[in-house]
Amino acid sequence: MAMIVTENLCKSFHSLEVLKDVSLTIDQGEVVCIVGPSGAGKSTYLRALNNLETINSGKIYIDGVLIEDREKGSHTNKVKISRSERLSILLELGMVFQRFNLFPHMTALENIVIAQTTVRKRSKEEATEKALDLLERVGLLDKTNEYPSKLSGGQQQRLAIARALAMDPKVMLFDEPTSALDPELVGEVLAVMKKLAEDGMTMIVVTHEMAFARDVADRVVFMADGVIVEQSPPEEFFNNPKNPRLREFLRRTITREE
Amino acid sequence: MEKLQQIITWMPALLKATQTTLLLSVTSTLTALFLSVFLALGKISKINIINKPCSAYIFFFRGTPLLMQLFFIYYTLPQLIPSLTIKSRFVAAWIAFSLNIAAYLAEIIRAAIQSIDKGQLEAAKALGMTYGQTMRLIVIPQAYRRMIPPICNEFVMVLKDTSLVSIIALSDLTFQTRMIAANKASSLVYIPAMFIYLVITAVFTFIFNKLEKKLSVYE
Repeated sequence: MAMIVTENLCKSFHSLEVLKDVSLTIDQGEVVCIVGPSGAGKSTYLRALNNLETINSGKIYIDGVLIEDREKGSHTNKVKISRSERLSILLELGMVFQRFNLFPHMTALENIVIAQTTVRKRSKEEATEKALDLLERVGLLDKTNEYPSKLSGGQQQRLAIARALAMDPKVMLFDEPTSALDPELVGEVLAVMKKLAEDGMTMIVVTHEMAFARDVADRVVFMADGVIVEQSPPEEFFNNPKNPRLREFLRRTITREE
Repeated sequence: MEKLQQIITWMPALLKATQTTLLLSVTSTLTALFLSVFLALGKISKINIINKPCSAYIFFFRGTPLLMQLFFIYYTLPQLIPSLTIKSRFVAAWIAFSLNIAAYLAEIIRAAIQSIDKGQLEAAKALGMTYGQTMRLIVIPQAYRRMIPPICNEFVMVLKDTSLVSIIALSDLTFQTRMIAANKASSLVYIPAMFIYLVITAVFTFIFNKLEKKLSVYE
């Protein structure tokens, strides 16, 4: 079953076209890794899904519900749904950022509790219980009352994952989750993500970690210059790339990795 | 020694006038703080009918001298609209100072709010928080700490600017000092007066520093 469907997404920043008719469908339970050179539009695609960027034209369906429908040239959203309906659909998407974006004035626990109580309207007790559960799941139970500044980059990112999971999303979006980390801290974050994938979470991961894409992804998508150039299961993607640009990209990244 | 004794005899009158200076500084700053939060949020707002008046207010009160604003409220307003006559010099000064300080504090608060990393807004939005919740729970609590040093600076300026009220004959520390200087024909009185200003400034700077430390536990 399709969890996310995007049709002909276009997005420009002034005269720079970042997304050019990007169409992609992600099935429930699928793990899709998006790779490509920087400036390819990978992050913008993710950010368009959860409305951090407003698309210029195209259609976005989340869990079967059309939430964006803009025609080329007109730019107004033809979908008329109430704000609360829209919010509850967008809440099905959890987001993990490159720079974590934890709330620095709150402890690890409070970071996970705050949106549960204010947005999901859970009681403090219920939210705390869930937060402790998630802290244990990402291996941070001993950091419950620490402020983010006292945590390593890897710990901060795991906390950010827990914070997103607390909202019970159906899809998790990862925007280069390990790019801001020291190399020795990358593994612990990828391990948490791998576990999440094994538990059946639908995931879209923008990443430069080719090994992760090869191991965990069901499908790898190569984006360059705002278009999807090639997509296939990892086996084929890495062993038998067809597009010359992808071949060049893989040659460079893989040699660098090894 | 004789001079020191002379100075000591003036102290009770000076300290009494100091109360007015302190009361005016503190009440005006607190009133201004309240007003400035709305002005700052108003100026940040993307809605024109909200941000334009707020910007105009700030522009006006920062663009004209405080002394003129004080004259306007105490002398001009009663002449324009007699029903708006303010009899109490203190109340007139309090209004003028509050309105003026609010403009400066609004800019301090706006700058602090806008200095918060955009990633914080994005994280809050991705978690489904509304604009109001994001401001109240995420942005403003972080902005507090950054506001403390410039607000302290502003308060010290206000404390000294209150000496302007001596011109409308409100009996503050400066007014009292000038009276003593005139009546006793001695300009020595400016020494203890300046010393009092210095002590008050030192005390408030100390308090603000403590407050800043207390609010930065998480850094």
